[in-house]
Amino acid sequence: MTFLENIGRSTVKLIQSFAEIISFAGKVLYRICKPNTYNSATRTILVNQIYFTSVQILPAFITASVIFGSLLIGIVFQLLKNLGLTEFFGNVLMGLIVTELSPFFTVLLITLRSGSAISTEMAVMKVNREINALETFHIDVVNYLLVPRIINGIISLVLLSTLFSIVLMSGGILFSRVIFGMSIDVYSNILLNSTNFSDIVIALVKCACFGFFITLIPIRFGLRASHELTSIPIVVSRGMVSVFTAILIIEVLSLTTKLI
Amino acid sequence: MKMHPRQAAPVSIDIPLISNQEVWLNIALIRQYHENMPRGEAERIAINALQRLGLENIAYKRNPDLTNEERFCAMLLRAAMVRDALIIIDRPFKIITHLKDVNYIFQAIEKIEDFYSSCHIYDYEWLKEKYGALCQ
Repeated sequence: MTFLENIGRSTVKLIQSFAEIISFAGKVLYRICKPNTYNSATRTILVNQIYFTSVQILPAFITASVIFGSLLIGIVFQLLKNLGLTEFFGNVLMGLIVTELSPFFTVLLITLRSGSAISTEMAVMKVNREINALETFHIDVVNYLLVPRIINGIISLVLLSTLFSIVLMSGGILFSRVIFGMSIDVYSNILLNSTNFSDIVIALVKCACFGFFITLIPIRFGLRASHELTSIPIVVSRGMVSVFTAILIIEVLSLTTKLI
Repeated sequence: MKMHPRQAAPVSIDIPLISNQEVWLNIALIRQYHENMPRGEAERIAINALQRLGLENIAYKRNPDLTNEERFCAMLLRAAMVRDALIIIDRPFKIITHLKDVNYIFQAIEKIEDFYSSCHIYDYEWLKEKYGALCQ
């Protein structure tokens, strides 16, 4: 009985936590859509956040994209040639690597770099009573702290994932010449013919969802910190586990959409 | 005089500066958020306010890098940015712990007196010696 009770309790807790995140997401989405959310202060934070997340990471991101992307493209092209599937390389590149792998690779990098930072930042602000300070001066915490960070997450994910795809496709020019002896014109034609508009839309929507949740969940967990320093590592680690769960759920949903 | 709750502008150890933002942004934030003042103009007002207290050098520093006096002045200027501010200074000697008397605080308040509509200091009775003739 105790075993069953424990399973039941854990399930109820999990469902409650999921429902809470979804309700919080709804509240934040509503604020994002409200025009009076935006003012000079939120715009300043948004610009700063985009700089921290998308611009500062560029050298490391481009280096990682070139190294990882080139190796991957090289291996995939070599494999296709060995299997005699050369004519399908456009479909594999666009349908699998660009629309599936790019968002996934980008979200992992951004989560590792920014997810934990956002969660810690919020928790430290809570512990230091800086959140109370904002409320005391009638500054709405959702409008001022959450909305710019979440919009930044969406914009950064879409832009960086696009950049990763461009790096991959540029690497493909080199490997298609070396492995298949293909000219740039032929390579470009094959890529254009293999591009499916709906796949691109799904990839962009997926990037936006990733961006939304990898900032929303760390913020939510960061704000759950108590006024004690010891609560910071607890909320940060719980937040990161939840973020990775959300990434998996979004990935599964996107793959299911593609299958249907 | 009838007060609006939005005029209340506390200066207290319990209402700290935002530590991940520079001092000027902490001060400018109030005007930027409440009045939608453009960033450049709000920055200029914040820097001018700091200059009045001779503290323009701390504009681009963050809370942990400030001395107690600098922190108090930054909190005071943040409070003064509230429109028609009713500044409430809560236990100033908890913010500037080593001060022997209230003169430094009064001098700071006087230098920015055109920024606020009124200013009140609240402290423990057993600290009245530090306030000198004011509490006689």
